Amino acid sequence: MENRSILQRFIARPEFGPFVLLVLMIVVFQSINPSFLSLQNISNTLAFTVELGLIALAMTLLMTSGEFDLSVGSVFGFSAVLMWTLFNAEVTSLEVAFLAALLVAAFIGFVNGIFVTQLKIPSFLVTLGMLLVVRGTALFITDGFPQRTWNAAGNWLAELLVGDFYIGSFRLYMSLVWFVLAVIVLGYILTQSRIGNWIQASGGNPGAASARGVNVSRVKIGLFMLSSVMAALAGIISSVRTSSANPNSGTGYELEVIAMVVIGGTALMGGRGTIIGTVLGIFILRMMRNGIIMIGVPGLAYNIFIGAIILGMMALHSWLERRHKAGT
Amino acid sequence: MSNTGNQPLIRMADIHKSYGQVQALVGANFHVNEREIVGLLGDNGAGKSTLIKVLSGAVPLTSGDIFIRGKKVELRNTGDAIANGIETIYQDSALVTQLSIARNLFLGREPLKGPAFLNRMDQDAMNDVARDLLKRVGISKNIPPTTPIGSLSGGERQAVAIARAMHFDSDLIILDEPTNNLGVAETQGVLNFVRGARDSGHSCIFIAHNIHHVFQVVDRIVVMRRGKVVADNIDPKTTTVQAVEGVITGMSEHEAEAAAT
Ligand SMILES: Nc1ncnc2c1ncn2[C@@H]1O[C@H](COP(=O)(O)OP(=O)(O)OP(=O)(O)O)[C@@H](O)[C@H]1O
Ligand SMILES: [Mg+2]
Repeated sequence: MENRSILQRFIARPEFGPFVLLVLMIVVFQSINPSFLSLQNISNTLAFTVELGLIALAMTLLMTSGEFDLSVGSVFGFSAVLMWTLFNAEVTSLEVAFLAALLVAAFIGFVNGIFVTQLKIPSFLVTLGMLLVVRGTALFITDGFPQRTWNAAGNWLAELLVGDFYIGSFRLYMSLVWFVLAVIVLGYILTQSRIGNWIQASGGNPGAASARGVNVSRVKIGLFMLSSVMAALAGIISSVRTSSANPNSGTGYELEVIAMVVIGGTALMGGRGTIIGTVLGIFILRMMRNGIIMIGVPGLAYNIFIGAIILGMMALHSWLERRHKAGT
Repeated sequence: MSNTGNQPLIRMADIHKSYGQVQALVGANFHVNEREIVGLLGDNGAGKSTLIKVLSGAVPLTSGDIFIRGKKVELRNTGDAIANGIETIYQDSALVTQLSIARNLFLGREPLKGPAFLNRMDQDAMNDVARDLLKRVGISKNIPPTTPIGSLSGGERQAVAIARAMHFDSDLIILDEPTNNLGVAETQGVLNFVRGARDSGHSCIFIAHNIHHVFQVVDRIVVMRRGKVVADNIDPKTTTVQAVEGVITGMSEHEAEAAAT
């Protein structure tokens, strides 16, 4: 009886669906191509995974508060370009350029937040506009050409962001450490902290939240800034890892990130969010990309699978929700 | 200014409020004394909710003054009102359905534990207080405080909102139609709470369409019509329900009697 209710509670959790899907995917891919779970492949997958993952974690909090940010892909590309342009032009040191890029990103998030909360324009429109402004700026300042990044070799900051280390023969990137740290900190904020309660309330019922003295605008502006800064950090990490700062990089990431978040069980309309779900969502999408290639499905078919997963997961979440409301 | 005792707790003077073309309040005057339960009556659209929204900082007033214990105050937002000891339970639910009972109870004033920079909620304390409060507002069923509001009945939700006002004991508790959708036991719980509020030193504004409920608990009845207070000193002990109904609809007592026959 007790056991059964624990199992039932586990099934009712929003993370249950994505968890089952992830296990299923691993089983299927592994049985078709046994090198899927090789250390080499896991290490490679992890490297990209965490870059998008950092954005998805921040987006989870933002979406829980009832907003979303389409400009993250542009900020991803722009910040790296900005940092390397400043550095290559010998305007400042790499450290200062790094800080400047993060500050500019924070400002972009702040502007998004002001438009959404003070001018009451839906975040879809505000961040769509910002997507174009930021991407346009990145293309404009670079004339569309990638920026050199190789003269960063050996810099402590670059090492700290993306340096690699080995555990046995398993190669790990520092970015994984940042990712794990972000999971812990943001998961803690969402579920344990007072601010987390305000984030959920802001998305669930903003009127009620502000009636209780919660500053909903400030919560949302803060989360817009967080999502921009995380996108910038991810973009910079990616530029150091791949040794290229391309003004076009990050195109389309916003949709992939939002897909990761909703697959994990966070509500698009706010009020309910789960960091663990997002972590599962991140791995589902990334393993799908990697797995279908490894089992010999043409990479061009990737989007078919992703689309199907999103539709399937949304159907599952809404079914669980209705079943829960019906009171079984 | 000293509190001489005959100074009202709240005084609202010549309050005007328009929503664009709609004039919801046109020169309303209203007061609540210390330790007094005031029943606010009026037909649909009379301006009751608007008046208390102004008082709770939820909507800005167009013109007029608000005094608390004789001191003029600006209530720019609900935070200001809460800081001034005014707690409101709205007609349209003020709870977050996705959050648990305990998280709703403490929303905006969550207790913390551990070092401040960790910003960590004391969830055990929140759950304990919530469990205790639920019993006091008459929810006898054993509902765990971690249950999301979304899976409670309308009455249970109302009870949670009331439990919140009880816990953060404020000088003035405003209840806008708190007995809507309530069952018999829960309604009695609310009425008992309102009665108890006076004994524990609170004042209350109680809005309800059920005049009998109002008659059971209030010290003084105030009637609004078309954005104005048209009667503000009706004693429920010496007045009949029919007479008050007459004032609400705006018919004279004579007309009211004629309509009744
Ligand atoms: N947000 C708003 N925008 C425009 N008009 C409004 C708004 N809120 C209230 N009104 C108008 O103001 C008037 C007073 O409304 P109010 O809600 O104060 O009435 P009430 O006395 O609480 O009525 P009820 O008993 O139905 O709750 C009504 O004519 C209403 O249509
Ligand atoms: Mg009303």
